[in-house]
Amino acid sequence: MLLQRSLIASVLAALIGVATAAAADDSKYPEWRGQWRRPPGVGIQWDPTKPLGPAQQAPLTPEYQKVFEASIADQRAGGQGGDPTFTCIPPGMPRAMTVVFPMDIIILPEATYIIIEYSNQVRRIYTDGRDWPKEAEPSFLGYSIGKWVDEDGDGKYDVLEVETRGMKGPRSFDASGLPVHTDNATVVKERIYLDKANRDLLIDNVTTIDNALTRPWTVTKKYVRDRNPIWFEYNCTENNRHVQIGKDNYYVSADGFLMPVRKDQAPPDLKYFKQGQN
Amino acid sequence: MLNRNIIIAAVAALALATVTAQAQDASKYPDWSGQWKRPPGAGIQWDQTKRPGRDQNPPLTPEYQTIFEASLADQAKGGQGENSRVTCSTNGMPRVMTVIRPIEFVIQPKLTYVIFESYMPRRIYTDGRSFPTDQEPAMIGYSIGNWRDLDGDGRYDLLEVETRNFKGPRNLEATGIPLHRDNQTVVKERIQLDKTAKDTLLNEITVIDNAFTRPWTITKKYIREQGKVIWNEDECGENNNHVVIGKDNYFLSADGYLMPTRKGQQPPDTRYFNQTRN
Repeated sequence: MLLQRSLIASVLAALIGVATAAAADDSKYPEWRGQWRRPPGVGIQWDPTKPLGPAQQAPLTPEYQKVFEASIADQRAGGQGGDPTFTCIPPGMPRAMTVVFPMDIIILPEATYIIIEYSNQVRRIYTDGRDWPKEAEPSFLGYSIGKWVDEDGDGKYDVLEVETRGMKGPRSFDASGLPVHTDNATVVKERIYLDKANRDLLIDNVTTIDNALTRPWTVTKKYVRDRNPIWFEYNCTENNRHVQIGKDNYYVSADGFLMPVRKDQAPPDLKYFKQGQN
Repeated sequence: MLNRNIIIAAVAALALATVTAQAQDASKYPDWSGQWKRPPGAGIQWDQTKRPGRDQNPPLTPEYQTIFEASLADQAKGGQGENSRVTCSTNGMPRVMTVIRPIEFVIQPKLTYVIFESYMPRRIYTDGRSFPTDQEPAMIGYSIGNWRDLDGDGRYDLLEVETRNFKGPRNLEATGIPLHRDNQTVVKERIQLDKTAKDTLLNEITVIDNAFTRPWTITKKYIREQGKVIWNEDECGENNNHVVIGKDNYFLSADGYLMPTRKGQQPPDTRYFNQTRN
């Protein structure tokens, strides 16, 4: 009888252990559900603590400082400078993490998905221990591998460390045309975690290593949570009035005619049309 | 002694129930993981079993049959007809479920995501909510789903989805099979694994639309990638050579000049340019 009772107790203990393990497994990931937005008053510049443009004080090489200044000059004249997104090319990484429009985050054991409304960007951050693929096509968002870290040893993950490579271009840091190198060898390292004092504040320390920069450049992005979100559909090409023809960009007027974006801009060369405009 | 046995039995029952409940909860959703593609040989027409165009035999009203015929005639001359995808506008529902490029399902207890390579993800809410009254219309609509356990085995087999609240322009395939411009479309889907082939997903789609004389039901099949899953980034806006100016569409030549898409097409009106091209 005593042996039987001990056996039952052992089985019971084992069962409780299984239940606890299952519960622990379910709860080891942080709770990042909901909709994440830029905090009120934060614009769409790369470093949210500084104004857009030269005040960002980007650590650019002399060559890319000139590229940046040419972008700003072109934008002053009515052009788009080094900002490629006017033709509805997505911003790619790391600019996607400016989160122009809100994002949500799905955490699964094998991957974390970041779904960003702006430009329909879906990041897959693989956390299954894989290595960098040899055959992946370069993309604007790149290829992201992540690692969950339990920093305070409480059995729950706190930080998602992410490295992103394999980008293609053209990309820029923000709408002023702050450039990344055209070699597209950018490496982006992120540490994403909840603020310890405010569980509705998500922090992303983003370090960009790029040949347009003299040193790695780290900025901190913050996002605030809306737990009862409304999602909108962002369709960049819907009513996009910007038109690029060859190397020149133009605008389509409200009444449907092509118009210049710069003072004294010439119309496009229409040599492939046999007939003249009536 | 009796008391002790009762306590042991009660705790054992509780532990078992807890483990069982957790296991059931984790496994009650079907395994739709992986990458889903159109079956080999299936094109991008609406009804996979018929050829695109007139052979689809859409149950169009006489008014919308005329619109469809005009679309086909325009495309025969080099135009785009009713196919609004030319500007990279999202295809919207239900056309996105043609799955031109692969998709992924991410099933969460209250929400199922359908993630595309080309468009914003669909969010199918399965938390028992009603259709909102204050949501902006969207090309992808607003989707509410209901999981069903058809065979009573304690696991869900079928996701029933209803999608409403659209905007346009939308159509069913590249030939321009039109949907009504009132955007009152209702789409009902029944998504489930094929009982005899667990790597085949069936989506029975019924479209109720005022362009049709009756609800139109077709079944889409998707097959699960058995090899290595590779996700690509499909950015329609990248290198899109179609240009729409006013009501006319043009094409950009490989050497960067605007060119006609129809025989005898006039060039765009350049009345807003002060200068002439040298």
